[in-house]
Amino acid sequence: MTPTSNKGVLGHFCEPADALAAAAKVRDAGWKHFDFLTPFPIHGMEEAMGQKRSWIPWVTLVLALCGILFAQGLQNYVMIFDWPMNFGGKPHAAWPAFIPITFEAMVFWAALGSALVAIIAGKKDTIPQPPPMLVKTGATIDRFVLWISATDPKWNAAEAEAFVKSLGAHGVRLVDVEGGADA
Amino acid sequence: MTRHEASPYATVMDDSQLTGRPIVLAGAGPYGGDLEIPEPLVTGGKKWSDVDRDICMHAEQFPTKKWWIAFSVALTFLGVLVFSLILLFYSGMGILGINSPVGWGSFIINFVFWIGIGHAGTLISAVLFLFRQQWRTGINRAAEAMTLFAVACAGIFPIIHLGRAWFAYWLVPYPNARGPLWINFNSPLAWDIFAISTYGLVSAAFWYVGLLPDLATVRDRATHPWRKAIYNAMSFGWTGSHRAWRHYESAYMILAGLATPLVFSVHTIVSFDFATSVMPGWHTTIFPPYFVIGAIFSGFAMVITLMTFMRGYFGMKNYVTLNHMESMAKILMLTGMLVGFAYSTEFFMAWYSGSEWEGFVFKNRAFGPYGWAYFIMFTCNAIVPQIFWWKKMRRHTWVLFVVSILVNVGMWFERYVIVVTSLHRDYLPSSWGMYSLTRWDFAILFGSFGLFFTLFLLFVRFLPVVAISEVKGVMDPKVARSAPTDTVAAVAAHQEA
Repeated sequence: MTPTSNKGVLGHFCEPADALAAAAKVRDAGWKHFDFLTPFPIHGMEEAMGQKRSWIPWVTLVLALCGILFAQGLQNYVMIFDWPMNFGGKPHAAWPAFIPITFEAMVFWAALGSALVAIIAGKKDTIPQPPPMLVKTGATIDRFVLWISATDPKWNAAEAEAFVKSLGAHGVRLVDVEGGADA
Repeated sequence: MTRHEASPYATVMDDSQLTGRPIVLAGAGPYGGDLEIPEPLVTGGKKWSDVDRDICMHAEQFPTKKWWIAFSVALTFLGVLVFSLILLFYSGMGILGINSPVGWGSFIINFVFWIGIGHAGTLISAVLFLFRQQWRTGINRAAEAMTLFAVACAGIFPIIHLGRAWFAYWLVPYPNARGPLWINFNSPLAWDIFAISTYGLVSAAFWYVGLLPDLATVRDRATHPWRKAIYNAMSFGWTGSHRAWRHYESAYMILAGLATPLVFSVHTIVSFDFATSVMPGWHTTIFPPYFVIGAIFSGFAMVITLMTFMRGYFGMKNYVTLNHMESMAKILMLTGMLVGFAYSTEFFMAWYSGSEWEGFVFKNRAFGPYGWAYFIMFTCNAIVPQIFWWKKMRRHTWVLFVVSILVNVGMWFERYVIVVTSLHRDYLPSSWGMYSLTRWDFAILFGSFGLFFTLFLLFVRFLPVVAISEVKGVMDPKVARSAPTDTVAAVAAHQEA
């Protein structure tokens, strides 16, 4: 789902350890549509946010198999069926000679495909994000920004703001206008 | 004392205070023993916000005079390359030194040389990542960029070696109107096409995925709307959301896992170009590991060369510290000894195999007319790096720089020895001959350095040369954090602006 709304509440932390502790509290309080915007990945954040392991490895597996099939298909088709040639009496289906290209094709498909899917997944497999204006002064520099989206099932503006403040977050602010300060 | 309670890791050190040894905290360990902690990877007590400024600065301000001087020198050499290639296409391969019996000359030497240099970048990013070597964060971005540019240089040579470079696309298997006449998939030269192109593209993907968060940092620092828009598009609108980091980290790990065997496969396949032939001196099973180790060796030497410049001229001393340089020197010494071991093994096997041809080739290599090249190779690669047994030498900038240059000279001569000595005296003494580089061989060799350094200088001009988000991750939060009051004020200031 492409996010549409960007209402919600923001607050930031100054250290990854604080962000991690806060994430676990938000998770335990039953919030679902929340996110942390951080300058670098924090170890253990997936568990603290109650997220499952990324599904990207499955994409890699499927693409790697596609790469193997593509390379094997191409080489066998060309060398056995389409234009068989005799190289020093060697068999047409010289499978050991097909291994290097099979390996390279596997890596090619799996690596480029996974990178591309991961970039797209980062945009699509997510919740509505805060308006960029409110986080860009810190989330890529030195702040660990907590964001609870108004799309959350238990959303209540006053309650959410109070909750984020109770976590000890700094600069808590409620975004209750569609489009936020950036619009 | 626990880690979270601040102090051990909160040590602030300058580059000159680093010793390369752990900091010992007496009585701080478990059961009252000593606690040894590593020295900080980033020196000078930097904050996270300083990292952004120090690293993005070079991409944000008008280049310095030093950059323009370096760039104009590099461009001049690039001009030499372009001119030589035009001349080569105009007048043909006759302007080069290759002839019977040495039909593989400087182009193949340069190809193997550059592709070898291109191996360290992905090794640093992928293998050191999988081994959790945190010091890689300071050097991986520049090393990966170096890989890409070295592969770009390498890619030129097999194509111009074809003689009719304008038919290079015939190397690619595609349905064509010539039959369709396909390439021979049994040929190592066809494997090369797949290996090199896969390596180039996967390295580019790895490099670019690593760049994404840093491009967002550059975007968020940008003031000009166009600049903001360009870097925003380049970073695919990266926000730092942990829902994106989750997939990002997974993909990065997978890329590292795939790039690791890829690094080894590429130079293995390059070595198959030689090893699957029937030439004495080429037809050996040691070639794949020998080539891979040589590639890592020469690549690390080039990283040391470039890092010396980056430390000196780009003020990166706090991010690429002497400890980083020392770690690289250790790898250089290790791989240098492995390369020396490979040279010796080749000699042993030439004798032990009882093969008359093999024995002759190796005697001819070391004591024949190209003995001088063998001597340069052995001295520079196996003997010179031994200086790094001394810690003082490993931490001495000039020693590191000179050794790194010598190693790359040695590694160029290694390929020279392999290519030329096996070909110039083969089975039939009546067809023996000698090979020498012409001025155009030299012009294209030095011109390729022009291409390499032009691309590298453009990279340091436009992109963050150190992996900002990764470096931030290995810094001590107690030192690197900003006070919350600062950040609130900064938000307010930004909103007013």
